[in-house]
Amino acid sequence: MLRFLLGRLGQSLILLFIVSLIGFSVLLLAPGGPMSQFALTPGISKAELDKIAAQMGLDRPILVQYADWLWGLVRGDWGNSFRDGRPVLEIIGGHLFATLLLMGSSTVIAVGLGTWIGIKGAVKRYSMFDYAATVGAMIALSIPTFWFGLVSIYIFSLRLGWLPAGNMFTIGDQTVLDYLHHLIMPSMVLALVNVAIWSRYMRTATLEVINQDFVKTARAKGLSPRRVLMKHVVGNALIPMITLAGLQLPTLLGGALVTETVFTWPGMGRLFLDSLGYSDYPVIMGLLMFSAILVIIGNLAADLITAFVDPRIRLA
Amino acid sequence: MTELPLPTYGTAPPRNRTLRRFLRHRLAVVGLAIIVILTVACIVGPWLLPYDQLYIDLRARFAPPMTGAHIFGTDPLGRDIAARLFMAGRVSLLVGFMAMVISTIVGTFVGVVAGYHGGRLGAVLMRIVDGFLSFPAIFLLLTLAAFVKPSPFMITVIIAVTSWMQVARVVEAEVRSLRERDFILAARMLGLSSSHIMFRELLPNVAGPIIVSATLTIANAILLEAYISFLGYGIQPPLPSWGNMLNGAQQYLATAPWLAIVPGVAITLAVTGFNFVGDGLRDALDARSDLS
Amino acid sequence: MSDVPASFRPTRRQTLGLFGLGAAGLVIPQAFGGVAFAQDAAPKGQIVLGFSQEPTVFNPHLLHIEVDEGVYFAIFDPLFGVDAEGKFYPLLAAEVPTVENGGISADGLTWKVKLRDDVKWHDGTPFTAEDVKFTLELLVNPDFRSWRRAGHELVQELTVVSPTEISWKMSAPYAPYASILASTFIVPKHAFDGQADLNATPFNNAPIGTGPFKWVKRVAGDYIEMEANTDYVGDGPYVEKLIIKYIPDMTVLYTQFKTGDIDVIGLQWITADHYDEAKALPDRVVIKAPNPTVESIGLNLGKPVFQDKAVRQALYAALDKTTLIDALYYGLPLPTESYMPQQSFYYNPDLPKHEFSTEKANAILDEAGWVKGGDGIREKDGVRLAFTNSTTAGNHLREQAQQFIQQTFAEIGAEMTIHNLPPAVMWGDYWMLSQYDSTIVGIAFLTGPDPDTADYFSSKSISAKGGAGQNTFQWENEDVDRLLAEGAKIFVPEERKVPYLELQELAREELPFLPMFQYTVLPGTKTGIEGLVPNVNVRVDSWNVGSWRWV
Repeated sequence: MLRFLLGRLGQSLILLFIVSLIGFSVLLLAPGGPMSQFALTPGISKAELDKIAAQMGLDRPILVQYADWLWGLVRGDWGNSFRDGRPVLEIIGGHLFATLLLMGSSTVIAVGLGTWIGIKGAVKRYSMFDYAATVGAMIALSIPTFWFGLVSIYIFSLRLGWLPAGNMFTIGDQTVLDYLHHLIMPSMVLALVNVAIWSRYMRTATLEVINQDFVKTARAKGLSPRRVLMKHVVGNALIPMITLAGLQLPTLLGGALVTETVFTWPGMGRLFLDSLGYSDYPVIMGLLMFSAILVIIGNLAADLITAFVDPRIRLA
Repeated sequence: MTELPLPTYGTAPPRNRTLRRFLRHRLAVVGLAIIVILTVACIVGPWLLPYDQLYIDLRARFAPPMTGAHIFGTDPLGRDIAARLFMAGRVSLLVGFMAMVISTIVGTFVGVVAGYHGGRLGAVLMRIVDGFLSFPAIFLLLTLAAFVKPSPFMITVIIAVTSWMQVARVVEAEVRSLRERDFILAARMLGLSSSHIMFRELLPNVAGPIIVSATLTIANAILLEAYISFLGYGIQPPLPSWGNMLNGAQQYLATAPWLAIVPGVAITLAVTGFNFVGDGLRDALDARSDLS
Repeated sequence: MSDVPASFRPTRRQTLGLFGLGAAGLVIPQAFGGVAFAQDAAPKGQIVLGFSQEPTVFNPHLLHIEVDEGVYFAIFDPLFGVDAEGKFYPLLAAEVPTVENGGISADGLTWKVKLRDDVKWHDGTPFTAEDVKFTLELLVNPDFRSWRRAGHELVQELTVVSPTEISWKMSAPYAPYASILASTFIVPKHAFDGQADLNATPFNNAPIGTGPFKWVKRVAGDYIEMEANTDYVGDGPYVEKLIIKYIPDMTVLYTQFKTGDIDVIGLQWITADHYDEAKALPDRVVIKAPNPTVESIGLNLGKPVFQDKAVRQALYAALDKTTLIDALYYGLPLPTESYMPQQSFYYNPDLPKHEFSTEKANAILDEAGWVKGGDGIREKDGVRLAFTNSTTAGNHLREQAQQFIQQTFAEIGAEMTIHNLPPAVMWGDYWMLSQYDSTIVGIAFLTGPDPDTADYFSSKSISAKGGAGQNTFQWENEDVDRLLAEGAKIFVPEERKVPYLELQELAREELPFLPMFQYTVLPGTKTGIEGLVPNVNVRVDSWNVGSWRWV
């Protein structure tokens, strides 16, 4: 167990190193830079901006900057934003809640709906329901998330006026109800793709379990079909789903980013786009690393839980 | 990719059976029909319409669909949306297709090499794959797109850079499982070179999964192009793409919703088509699945 | 008039003597107009002001962008401000220094500013001349990432005469300095005492000022909350709470104005295409506000194709401004021939009027010897009349304009290729070092109400040639240099007007950039909010936020 953990930790560190290398080289090799946003400031000159860039250490060779940044990261210093000078971790922390809220609520929707559709589809295989679910899932996977968001805004905010077009809450009315009201549309939009994925996997997993011996045995013992389903089938089918949840994290995070841009949701996705616009390298790098770490932890947790739940799997 | 010889031995079923299974897969056929119709429409469409996709007529701006000969209406510059949609389709489909070609070549190469050699080289290659997979592709994609001159070629490359990993993973797993099979051992004993074994013996046997994953890659590439162009980092005007037709559509959502709806439907149709076909191919190429 | 606290009401003498502008007459700055309001009423209610960019830099002297100033006007005060008419009014200064009142010596070299003695910082510390001295020194501190050294670098012998008086000498007479001071917010010296790195102080994220509102907190990526400074010595504040809300998308910004989530829609404003709808909204007031920014097609005179004046003039003639403004911008912006805002005292209204005529454009090019080649593109001496046009990728209104312009230019045998770039690239070296061919750019050429534009026009301001400034057009003209130098030394507005009128004629004749229009922006408020006054002399709507109130 310990060896497994250490091995995974080592792999993860190498992974993070690669991620950081990719990100850093892309950012710093590109033209432009954080001084561009000040271009049309009255009275400013190129020489002046160059001097300030130099003060910020941006004129050093890329490798030196990378080493400097990496050394900071190792010591737990993720750097400071070029924009407001606050520590990167603090900034990401400030946007974390919004993104997690969105991801969390849409996962709840996706898991709930997806599990139900998947199991029902598997049990009533080749029924109208199953067929509709299959086609529906394929289409759901094909709709661009941002466009679905736009269409939803058009229908539910502009035409019907039922739901707010964006933001996480109304200023001065930060009640739970108000949050929920704002949460409905973005979490539904984000959930769409995930319902599709979950229902497809759940259907496959359930089908695999249904045909296994222990289910047949349980049925032969005379247990009611419903009990067999709930106790033996669903329980066992959910195990691979845990791994899936881990693997789906990057997709979910990416989806959240897209959804946030359409609904002006104040989360990490919006922070990322803003930071890109201002070439705020420390924050961009921080977000890249943070999401990579999140994904790695997600995968690891999924593996561990699977091993814990399923006695057949031993971690070497 | 369809030029690739279909497998003659190994896991995949023979060609005629594959074709039959594919054709029995109703969704796949629907998907194929969608793709063919869209492609033909994009190639032929611009000649059939009375409007030039670039012709600006500010007096005719924001005409709703079915105004005169503007079947899908006009955009904020009074250009015919139908004409633009077809031209945009050419761009978007081409970008999607070329991104697929590049990422499939790269992914296959990495996958075959990593799977066949295994060991340290394989481990390093697959860690790089994991590295790319371990943060949302959209982060990397936007980071690249935000700093690169946005030409169709660069957008294609950027999309390919962020979507070759799935192919690599699938191929690596397949090759690894085939590596110890008799026909490979035999080839090795015959003294065939590694590259011969990898690309002449192993590759044809993983063609099935590659085709499936290539099809899904096109679908994904079209979505990615749409998203970065929507944010303004993608294909630049006046060259239309389905994504950049949506750029700015949010602003006119209340007054001219067709600006958002028409290209969005086109994207959804195209992507659905490729997903259907990919799904059908997967079923058709997988001997284990039953389609009764 | 009773709504203006006595200390804020400029006397007639003061106004007449106001330094920097000659349009005397009106006594009360428009800002303080409006209905009578009880002077000592306690602040009540809150105002949510929405911006489409996020303010992030709160030390007003660090390098920052326009929207950051939206917060500065709430938290800080300069020595004196500038109103919509271009007149200065005292804030931290007891009176605006002028030649007439002895604040400025006749040669413009010695400045003396008397300060108010009753001002306290938000933390209770009294405001003194030391703070002014510290601020002016900070701006030129070589280790400080100062947003503006130009002008301040001329200040020498900065002396605190008494806690309420400060004086300095200028190394050269420099008339624009008053306008620069009007946008120089005074910061408290004590907040920086003992700080090792002046670029990273706690003050940066918890600013202390003397302004109408006190900093409460900031939720990054979302909003900034401020509360009334009840000890404020100026006008207001009339509301208890001021919230500056960041909404990253202009459509959503407008939607939230419509739904009432925000009370005032500020910077980046209501988009032109929503104007008609917004005007008709119940309980909303939409203001057509002139903005100093002038949209133009900037031409890089360093490129061979633009070195021929005939080309510049022909392109200008082929620019269908009227259609562009009417169709794409809903007729809101003001067509212009000058870089100078039309509200300015220095504006030249007699410039030749632009006429759209492709025939005329063709004639100019024919005459100048530009001949159409086989591909329909004109050529002369091996130079093709082909160039790229760049602006910020993703700015779709500009992208539409570009495509429209492209079409009319093609009619005169000029090939314009659109080559847009992400903002960080566009406004980096590509702009600063004049690497572009042509660009569509909106520039506010002036600093406050001052007509000086040396930064954009002087031949010494070409960064690509080692100069310090933003003459990225690479416009080199001896007459321009002479006029700029002349204008900067004249302190009497009526006399000062002469060189600047001539300069505008020169710019219109030489066309280093093709002027299109001066922006009209559309701020809006809920009905019942008063005090929002458009002001072309500042960069942001909240310049008089202390006077905003619910009635």
